[in-house]
Amino acid sequence: MDLTTAKQQLATASATHHEPSALTKRRLAALAAFKTLALPKMPKLKFQTWPFFERQPNLTWTGAAAFDLAPALEEQVRLTQVGQVTLDAHVPAALKDQGVLLMDLFTALQTVPDLVLKFLMTVVKADENKLTAHHLAYLNAGAFLYVPRGVKVTAPVEINVTQDSTQPHQPLIHHLLIVAEANSQVDVIQHLTTQGDAANPASLMVEIVAQANSRVTFSSLDELGAQTVTYFKRRAQIGRDAKVEWAVGMMNAGNTVGEMDSELIGEGGEGDSKLIAITTADQQVGINNRVTHHGQHTTGLINQRGVLLGQSRLVFNGIGEIIHGAHGAKAEQQNRVLMMSPATRGDANPILLIDENDVEAGHAASVGPVNPVQLNYLLSRGIPKPVAQRLVIRGFLAAVLTAIPTQRVREELIAILERKLTDGQA
Amino acid sequence: MMATLEVKDLHVAVTDEETKGQKEILTGVNLVMKTGEIHAIMGPNGTGKSTLSQTIMGQPGYQVTQGDILLDGQSILAMPVDERARRGLFLAMQYPAEIQGVTNAEFLRAAINARRPADDQISVMAFLKKLDANLALLDMSESMTERYLNEGFSGGEKKRNEILQLLMIEPTFAILDEIDSGLDIDALKVVAKGVNSMRGANFGSLIITHYQRLLNYIVPDTVHVMMGGKIVKTGGPELAKQLEKEGYAGLRDELGLDIQLVDEQH
Repeated sequence: MDLTTAKQQLATASATHHEPSALTKRRLAALAAFKTLALPKMPKLKFQTWPFFERQPNLTWTGAAAFDLAPALEEQVRLTQVGQVTLDAHVPAALKDQGVLLMDLFTALQTVPDLVLKFLMTVVKADENKLTAHHLAYLNAGAFLYVPRGVKVTAPVEINVTQDSTQPHQPLIHHLLIVAEANSQVDVIQHLTTQGDAANPASLMVEIVAQANSRVTFSSLDELGAQTVTYFKRRAQIGRDAKVEWAVGMMNAGNTVGEMDSELIGEGGEGDSKLIAITTADQQVGINNRVTHHGQHTTGLINQRGVLLGQSRLVFNGIGEIIHGAHGAKAEQQNRVLMMSPATRGDANPILLIDENDVEAGHAASVGPVNPVQLNYLLSRGIPKPVAQRLVIRGFLAAVLTAIPTQRVREELIAILERKLTDGQA
Repeated sequence: MMATLEVKDLHVAVTDEETKGQKEILTGVNLVMKTGEIHAIMGPNGTGKSTLSQTIMGQPGYQVTQGDILLDGQSILAMPVDERARRGLFLAMQYPAEIQGVTNAEFLRAAINARRPADDQISVMAFLKKLDANLALLDMSESMTERYLNEGFSGGEKKRNEILQLLMIEPTFAILDEIDSGLDIDALKVVAKGVNSMRGANFGSLIITHYQRLLNYIVPDTVHVMMGGKIVKTGGPELAKQLEKEGYAGLRDELGLDIQLVDEQH
């Protein structure tokens, strides 16, 4: 398909979906950029040949596969999506009255287009790389969460997205846009799963706009299927005295390239980025976890822990960047990976890019097998090897696990972890 | 039911890290102990006491070149360490590992349940009751159980925690390897109280110590003296007192042994 044909296809698909013309225009610009831009950079991982997009990408709209969904409770804040279809979006009346919005992204583009277009793809720019451009051009699913100024949402906002891989040629290109206005507060729990065994790529983006003095926690349990090749990009733009906490359990079974970014724009902002990854079989995963300090007296923390099973490959790049002028910034990071078998290959690379003097920066990294002294101690008390290994791994992950703000997420993550480890040992 | 632990003509070598050559540490140890008995092994430094305890437990790094270790007549040499533990052996360590993220209580339950069938795991109530009783016996604070396993514990706390494990797991045979090292007298008494509470027809213990002091608090039935990688003399508690008075060199000369003691001036 030449560019002209591709543009026509895209414009027609966008129009039949009743999208604002501004979005169509941006899609077309992104498509042109997609043709020329390069893939993102990920040190130490070769992923250039992975099938992140269809050979002939086109924008299509499909219905949902069958799905069992329990009705939401009145106090629940919940959005459920299967493939491109939003099955429910429930916001308690009290929050609705305060102006909280939680809805399908395309519904939002029709009902509150100005609000969505003001922020959509402003935190991440479409022309950053080939995959971000592809994302906007062929964006086919998404959600919008809006928390007005001063509103505190106390119940966690649950966003459940199921990739519909019951059929081939159904890439999931999903965008979650979260806008937390000044002095607001919200906790988001995202859960990603795959239904079906067809090989489909996923391009998943999360943009968080955290305005001055807001608090956002974003937890994600990523459990996409083994046949899904995933690119995810999650970025928060963190305003003055605002704080964003990430807690990601990267439990995808398929090859994954992920980028986590915290942009500390305003003075006194804080970004805390925690991530746990388990890799199994012949899976390959690379994560860039970056905190960029623009504002003065900003604090950035990165803490990543990975466990490698089977013959898997896992790369953690922790990137702490302090821009010139960000006086008094603090950047700390830890990247640790545990290799459960000699056939695995792990990397933990701390990268500090510092262009200011009066700052604090530190890093720690480790790559290695299970601590034999710890393992042997448990064995010597009669605990069988598989259980002993799981306990040592739990201990290794504890620093990140215990810091996950929501107990339910913590418990779910431990349950997924136990299952992965049990399967991985079998 | 009476159980027996038998060490038969045991020869053990370790690999020298520098020369990569084999070095024989135990040169033919013979020992029979039964439940209901407390045995002590004394001996000068570098004579193989810890090698014996590590080898009985099956810790990595020790190669049995000759002889056997039998539990109730069955050789355990081919069994990995966790299986030996489930068969009833316990080794209180000199330097227990620290494990962040795993609580003491969680660890104790896993260890107890490892010795029980899958359909008869210990109930939470029974576990807590037993834990409370043993904590009280050892003057340990309840908060110890929710702390991470040995993490940030003082030397004395670690030793007490080893004894707490002993009381919770209730092994058939416990080997206490220099449990007295680095303990003040109060902690020593607490440790002894714990071990003495286990005394009975279903429990046997092998206490390895450099000093006689511990044996004032845990009075053994039998005392063995090890030198040069084997047991050179066996007697009652009075043997320990004699050693305290005469020293290892005195006993060596009395027995006419040609052994160089590690700490001896020459």
